[in-house]
Amino acid sequence: MPRCDDQGVTTPAVPESPSPPQPRPPLVRVRSGRVLAGVAAGTAAHLRQDPLVVRVAFAVLATTGIGVVLYGLLWLTMPVAQPGTAEAAPPPPGVGWRPSGRRELFGLIVLAVVAVGLLSRLVQWGTSALLLPLTLVAIGLAVIWRQLDSDRELDVPGGRWALAGGAALAAGGVVLLLATTGQLTAARNGFAATLVILTGLVLATAPVWRRLLDSRSLERTARIRSEERATVAAHLHDSVLQTLALIQRHAEDPQAVSRLARGQERELRAWLYEPAVVREGGTWAGLVAGLVTEVEADHALIVDPVVVGDAPVDDALAALGAATREALVNAAKHSGADAADLYTEVTPARVSVFVRDRGSGFDPAAVPDDRRGLRDSVSGRLTRLGGTAEVRSAPGEGTEVELVLPRTVAA
Amino acid sequence: MTRVFVVDDHAMVRAGVRAELGDDVTVVGEAADVATAVEGIRIARPDVVLLDVHMPGGGGRAVLEALRGELPDVRWLALSVSDAAEDVIAVIRAGARGYVTKTISGPDLIDAVRRVADGDVVFSPRLAGFVLDAFAAAGPAVPAPAEEATDPGLDLLSAREREVMQLLARGYTYREIGARLFISVKTVESHASNVLRKLQLSNRNELTRWAATNRLL
Repeated sequence: MPRCDDQGVTTPAVPESPSPPQPRPPLVRVRSGRVLAGVAAGTAAHLRQDPLVVRVAFAVLATTGIGVVLYGLLWLTMPVAQPGTAEAAPPPPGVGWRPSGRRELFGLIVLAVVAVGLLSRLVQWGTSALLLPLTLVAIGLAVIWRQLDSDRELDVPGGRWALAGGAALAAGGVVLLLATTGQLTAARNGFAATLVILTGLVLATAPVWRRLLDSRSLERTARIRSEERATVAAHLHDSVLQTLALIQRHAEDPQAVSRLARGQERELRAWLYEPAVVREGGTWAGLVAGLVTEVEADHALIVDPVVVGDAPVDDALAALGAATREALVNAAKHSGADAADLYTEVTPARVSVFVRDRGSGFDPAAVPDDRRGLRDSVSGRLTRLGGTAEVRSAPGEGTEVELVLPRTVAA
Repeated sequence: MTRVFVVDDHAMVRAGVRAELGDDVTVVGEAADVATAVEGIRIARPDVVLLDVHMPGGGGRAVLEALRGELPDVRWLALSVSDAAEDVIAVIRAGARGYVTKTISGPDLIDAVRRVADGDVVFSPRLAGFVLDAFAAAGPAVPAPAEEATDPGLDLLSAREREVMQLLARGYTYREIGARLFISVKTVESHASNVLRKLQLSNRNELTRWAATNRLL
């Protein structure tokens, strides 16, 4: 936690204590285990003290009036703990609000005594007629503060009602205060005048507020847009611009240029339209896209893959991918064609792959025994996995390799 | 001679398409955005419109939706660099008779234009793959109906239509499919247009939902 600048507020006496092996927790208001606003619990965590002790200290100070002011100031200045950080440390016993043991009971008694002392002091300060309205206002304000706490916890069910209750309490207190001091009528006139002036001001400056709101949302949109643009620019720089530079350097070699352009096109297309395949990987569609890119990079063959359905890659599918690659390489080396169609379909029952070229073709019966590429790499692999490989070809009619892998075996 | 109108917002693409189409067809007009396209097509009344999917002002789909009812004789062929399934399905459902990507070779493009002009549908392997994907997501294939008269419903492909789509996806031409399945080229064509009709008319949500989620998640 880099946020230690608040330390000096309460602990100037212990700047560099030699004992602590780990830094003090930062001075933040806790999220759970708070009684009022988490100030006492937060301070206690920072001082490595029992929250009860701090609470009692605050209460005792409150009888002199300083405690109240101090608490309010700390409430205003202490940031709320990041979600999930303060809670990471095991909360010391007794943090909770509910009295669960004898110690808690003792603490509550002390608090009660202090409260009585506070009340008696208040009684001394003024006529007891003022006491009730002031207390009401204080409670109302406390409730409002708690609800409007910097974290916008109005989503808590009942939060709005508590807020309304707090406002009603405070308003009632103010009215009562004015009534008891006999200034209600004067205040009413003043209130009416203020209300009129305020309404006039709000109405007069309404366009300004409106513009402020608008400009804020505009700013937000602009920021999001510029962030997005930065992401896209980063990607384009890493991929497209590099490729364009390569293309310029290979300007005399049309084959290299078309290969580079093709590979880049495929990559960009995948990034734009099939983010899932690129991002997650590990699926059959991603595997096929990858091996097609490799084959296109290594051989002068353009492959147009069409993939229907998808499945996570397991060992059998990885082997099927290797066989598919071998079939594509075969087409690149022996067919004489410059393009091949690759179609693969994943159904619940099987995964099928079709590699088709429109090249020279051959007579499957007349393949010499030493030409083992198709036979071993493709047929052998598939047979071991319980699948089948079939080669259809005739001289002059191109070749189609069909690979079928049952999924019940694969699964 | 087939009269063709080219709609694409990139001048380079329009020039390239013009050059590839060559003298086999007449290019009667070009447009770079939706408004000029709608106006120009109204005046020129071409046989075939080559329509870019992505354009400023609503895209090719906006042109299609503006003119399809008004000019029923015009045939539409989507030509796009986009391989996103939802774009392809959307433009087909809006009434295009086929879809080819801009990487198509010149002779293939001329062939596709001719076939669309003759009232056929043009399935690139990729579009066939999308169709199979969409209908596989919608449910298993029904057994082939004994008679063509029994409508198997718009939501499912018949076993034969599936077969045709699979062969298209494998890169077979209509003629090769006919030879392979022992049916005439005409029959293959009618299977293909049936599939297109199902793709356009099936209003079950699965299709659009598939298009929206399948390739995006």
